[in-house]
Amino acid sequence: MAEFNLRAEPFLGGFSHDYGGAMVEEVTDLSLISIAQPLNGRAALAKAVQSGLGCTLPAPGSSAVAENGDLRLLCLGMDSFLVINSGGMSYDRLAAKLDGAGYTTDQSDNWVALELSGTLAYAILERLCPIDLHPDVFPIGAFARTSIEHLNSIVLRQREDRFLLLCASSSATSFLHALTGSAVLIGLK
Amino acid sequence: MIIDHPLLGPRDAAEFTYLGDATLINRPDPAAPDAADGFYEYLYLRDNPAGEHNELWYHEQGDRAWLVVSRNTLTHEITKVELARDVALRLGRDR
Amino acid sequence: MSQINRIKGGLIDRSQKLEFRFNGRVFHGHQGDTLASALLANGQRLVGRSFKYHRPRGIFTAGSEEPNALVQLRSGAFQEPNTRATVAQLFDGLEATSQNHIGSLDFDLMAAVDLMSPFLSAGFYYKTFMWPKAFWEKLYEPIIRKSAGLGSLSMREDPDVYDKGFLHCDILIIGAGPAGLSAALSAGRAGVRVILADEDFVLGGRLNSETFVVDGQPGGDWAARALAELASLPNVRIMARTTIWGAYDHGVFGALERRTDHLAQSAGHPRQILWRVTAKRSILAAGSIERPIAFGNNDRPGIMLAGAVRTYVNRFGVAPGKQVTVFTNNDDGWRTATDLAQKGVRISAIVDSRDIAPLTSLPDAEIVMGGRVVDTAGRKGISTCTLANGQKIKTDCLAVSGGWSPNVHLTCHQRGRPEWQSDIAAFVPGQNLPANMAVVGTANGLLTLGEALRSGHQIAEGTVSDLGFTAARHSAPVADNEASGVSAFWYVGESRKRAWLDFQNDVTVKDVKLAYAEGFRSVEHLKRYTTLGMATDQGKTANIPALAIMAECTGKTIPETGTTIFRPPYTPVPIGALAGRSRGKDFRPYRLTPSHKWAKQNGASFVEVGNWLRAQWYARAGEKGWRNSVDREVTMTRNSVGICDVTTLGKIDIQGRDAAQFLNRVYTNAFLKLPVGRVRYGLMLREDGIAYDDGTTARLGENHYVMTTTTANAGLVFQRLEFARQCLFPGLDVHLISVTDGWAQFAIAGPNSRKLVQKVVDGLDMSNEAFPFMACAETTVFGGTKARLFRISFSGEMAYEIAVPARLGNSMMQGLMEAGAKFDAVAYGTEALGVMRIEKGHAAGNELNGQTTALDLGLGGFMSKKKDYIGKTLSERAELTHEDAMRLVGFRPVERSKPLVAGAHFIAQGQEANTENDEGWMSSVAFSPTLGHSIGLGFIRRGHVRMGEVVTAYSPARGGNIAVEIVSPHFIDPEGGRQRG
Repeated sequence: MAEFNLRAEPFLGGFSHDYGGAMVEEVTDLSLISIAQPLNGRAALAKAVQSGLGCTLPAPGSSAVAENGDLRLLCLGMDSFLVINSGGMSYDRLAAKLDGAGYTTDQSDNWVALELSGTLAYAILERLCPIDLHPDVFPIGAFARTSIEHLNSIVLRQREDRFLLLCASSSATSFLHALTGSAVLIGLK
Repeated sequence: MIIDHPLLGPRDAAEFTYLGDATLINRPDPAAPDAADGFYEYLYLRDNPAGEHNELWYHEQGDRAWLVVSRNTLTHEITKVELARDVALRLGRDR
Repeated sequence: MSQINRIKGGLIDRSQKLEFRFNGRVFHGHQGDTLASALLANGQRLVGRSFKYHRPRGIFTAGSEEPNALVQLRSGAFQEPNTRATVAQLFDGLEATSQNHIGSLDFDLMAAVDLMSPFLSAGFYYKTFMWPKAFWEKLYEPIIRKSAGLGSLSMREDPDVYDKGFLHCDILIIGAGPAGLSAALSAGRAGVRVILADEDFVLGGRLNSETFVVDGQPGGDWAARALAELASLPNVRIMARTTIWGAYDHGVFGALERRTDHLAQSAGHPRQILWRVTAKRSILAAGSIERPIAFGNNDRPGIMLAGAVRTYVNRFGVAPGKQVTVFTNNDDGWRTATDLAQKGVRISAIVDSRDIAPLTSLPDAEIVMGGRVVDTAGRKGISTCTLANGQKIKTDCLAVSGGWSPNVHLTCHQRGRPEWQSDIAAFVPGQNLPANMAVVGTANGLLTLGEALRSGHQIAEGTVSDLGFTAARHSAPVADNEASGVSAFWYVGESRKRAWLDFQNDVTVKDVKLAYAEGFRSVEHLKRYTTLGMATDQGKTANIPALAIMAECTGKTIPETGTTIFRPPYTPVPIGALAGRSRGKDFRPYRLTPSHKWAKQNGASFVEVGNWLRAQWYARAGEKGWRNSVDREVTMTRNSVGICDVTTLGKIDIQGRDAAQFLNRVYTNAFLKLPVGRVRYGLMLREDGIAYDDGTTARLGENHYVMTTTTANAGLVFQRLEFARQCLFPGLDVHLISVTDGWAQFAIAGPNSRKLVQKVVDGLDMSNEAFPFMACAETTVFGGTKARLFRISFSGEMAYEIAVPARLGNSMMQGLMEAGAKFDAVAYGTEALGVMRIEKGHAAGNELNGQTTALDLGLGGFMSKKKDYIGKTLSERAELTHEDAMRLVGFRPVERSKPLVAGAHFIAQGQEANTENDEGWMSSVAFSPTLGHSIGLGFIRRGHVRMGEVVTAYSPARGGNIAVEIVSPHFIDPEGGRQRG
């Protein structure tokens, strides 16, 4: 075996910039795991998710938070889910907790994650995202899988003025460019 | 256009890609004696109605669901949106 | 020059004096002026030349409907042609130039064209430029191109930036005049999300142009108070300088917000923002547009719409003339006279086409009832007008009112047809409105202020409760209903001189009559033949009078004659705004491979493959061109070992109890019995039997597979597989998720590949017995990093692919190169990859081009006879399986030193090169450093049984004919011994 240690490099080098009114930051410590619900296996999956992750199985388009608070489960569509875990649990451990009730795939390296926060976060996204992000219709915990500057992405509102944005990792540079470009075009530096 | 996704609510048509006539769900039985004719009609002969049309849309920038959208080709009014999977199941495609 | 026409009053800030230039001359205006009002204030009546006849033209309106006063704004790269002076807000330092003349504006050399006008009537182009045919390209077209269009482009890149965005609301209110404000107050107070958009920079619409009273206050003051209240409501977004230019399906609207057009410099801010507004409901309060009456020489500078004259006087404090004459067919025209008189402007005469009692009397003003203006005089502006009774009136401004037309533009965008309402002699919105749109105020034919305010209030309250909100308790704003009587009167028949209808495209009454005389009956034909209404203003002021004349010619009523409808955009939308940020390299997003950084540091040139940037080759010092690098990469790989980032191939994770069954149905070859730990090549067809995509699928577990697709088709294959899963086989338990971005994957190829892989993989038996060709495993590398290992080969060499999580990809590339150093491992790019696959005879995108079958590709053996799969039935069609079908074979030049050309067609030797003798085509070529000459892959009829035959590769556009020999497509190692190792 070669004497070489592989080094994980964040897709955006751990980008972080405070624009004053808006902050854009790469989030590098999330584990993302997709769960596919086996055909006719919703009840079994719901049970496994409840006992294994401490979380109810959300309906399509909505999300649920685990009891310990560091795990959010999004239901992306008719039979697919995404776990967003900031608690550092490995894919293998998490997959094991489901005990075969769902088909899991590690998605942590499939996505780049950016956190966009601040009072002007909304104004930045208004230039990029076709979804209505008004807090009345897109409250805390709401998410949408949609497009941002033609890039397939997931927008999750974590707080009134904080969004988690996910995009395919190979497009990380373009995705960041879209966000920082927006920040500049609304007059931030 | 706005497509009212049965699971996710109204979404801009820009999130979708279009395939065409929803009869594409009705893939003929390849074991039928007239399978060649069946596939020929399935693939090449489509109605082109001025009015209500059931068509397949794919939520590419979304949940990757295939939808059957009933759209009036004259007014673009959308009267019904269903998961294509549900339509296929109703047509007995799981057998 | 002083502002000789400036009078008291208006919404301008006289404390701010702004300097601007028009055709190089320095003028002054004030904050709150438009370029038009400032020019008029300075007595500049002549502002441009007309499109076709180069007639002197002045400012005709005070709004976005302006057909005449198109100017060029700014200079250098910022130059912007065809801007309406009537909506361009004045700023300090503004530069404007007039358009459409050769020489000066005052002495346009092209004005001679006007003398030729008898030859330039409707259909002139169709009649004149027909013959001789040869003249078209060399003579006519260059002349027409030179004379067409108005302003000119700078031909430089626009230095401004533009942006786009998305807005959502419950109610979009289009227009912030009295009806729009009244509606906005009702909706805003009820708490619904409102967007109130208006194209003007001062909101209030006609309230700022008139002397009306609302709720006991001057109209302008009431508007300002209403706007202040609306601005205080968090649920209301007021968007000034914002044109709603298109009404699209399901409540989607196009909006153009002009952010910095009114500033000297944009200072990095977007000049304009193109918004896509999604509204649950819309209320159209777009007001109405005054139309002219056509009479002889009615296009001279100084002849203006009567309402516009009021606007200049009341809003801008500018008197467009010192001796103003009013020519009207309705009551509203009289208010121009009374308003002006009140401001001390002299009214020479009021000419009313109606034979009724005068509405009022004005000292000094002559009143002519039942009168008509038949002609005007004055070289660069009107000086006198002549009435039908022969009387001449000295005047420097003729205010014309032919009545008001509801601004139905947006109601037509989804093919809604306006309906004729005879009491106001105008078209009003019909029944076929865009979904969820309501129309209020004068836009809906309610031509008086009191009605406008009431309708705005009433419709908004109804809309609010439709949306499930409770209307706030307040009553509609109140105003008197002003006199608004009108009689239909379109043109002065007694006029012998040319009478203009469409000022922008120079269409006259005579042109319309000529079109009729030549047999054109449909208004759509009339429009296209005469070009009436086809200029940038879409005939906002011209269409209805023209239609009325057409109706008169045909002896039909106006509703029987019909009307043309409007299309988006309401006013021109700059291309820059439509492009937004998508310029240059921001045209579309791009994707980077995990080893991009390493590649950049190691001399890579990159090539766009779809959205990906891939390393094409890695140049080393001393290499003289790309071929040097590529030849070296191929040779080093074939001699020892090469490494290539192949992450871009689509990777789809497939799981489920029925995953094997699913694969068996989408691939042509059998997949049910693929063992765990093995990889199989798979070919997909389209349902019509044509080859679609290929790749390998590895079975990682009992119910777990990972499929690869070609780079180009990754997204499309995923989509098709989802279609198969959801629509064709919904009874299968199978699940798909893309993992393309998740895994950095590297091909390691060459005779030393096993040794290299052995060094990085943690303790896996790499012997041929334990890990043979087409084996796969989930393993770890470099001491514990999760990885996937596949023994597959695209190059024909012994080869592996290793995948690690994408974040480790750049480091992995370094690690592999380091581990491979003692074998002289080389990084290779897409060019070397392509050369090696051609040498090996593997089909790629050039061969799977949507025309070829599995049989053509020599992959007939992969078409299972024992099962159904997508494309099976139709792939068996006689047309696709006949003896004479194309076959993929190899080609080499008979004279080895000659290069082959892709795209060449094959012709039997001695035959004439024509379509009939065309036997196939060369799809891929490369210089093979392994063989030392050019090689090619291509399709030729019955190729598989023509080995050794020499044919001509015919490529007239690139290098002519060359004799080529048909050979096996497998140029190297046809038995596959190397890859099995």
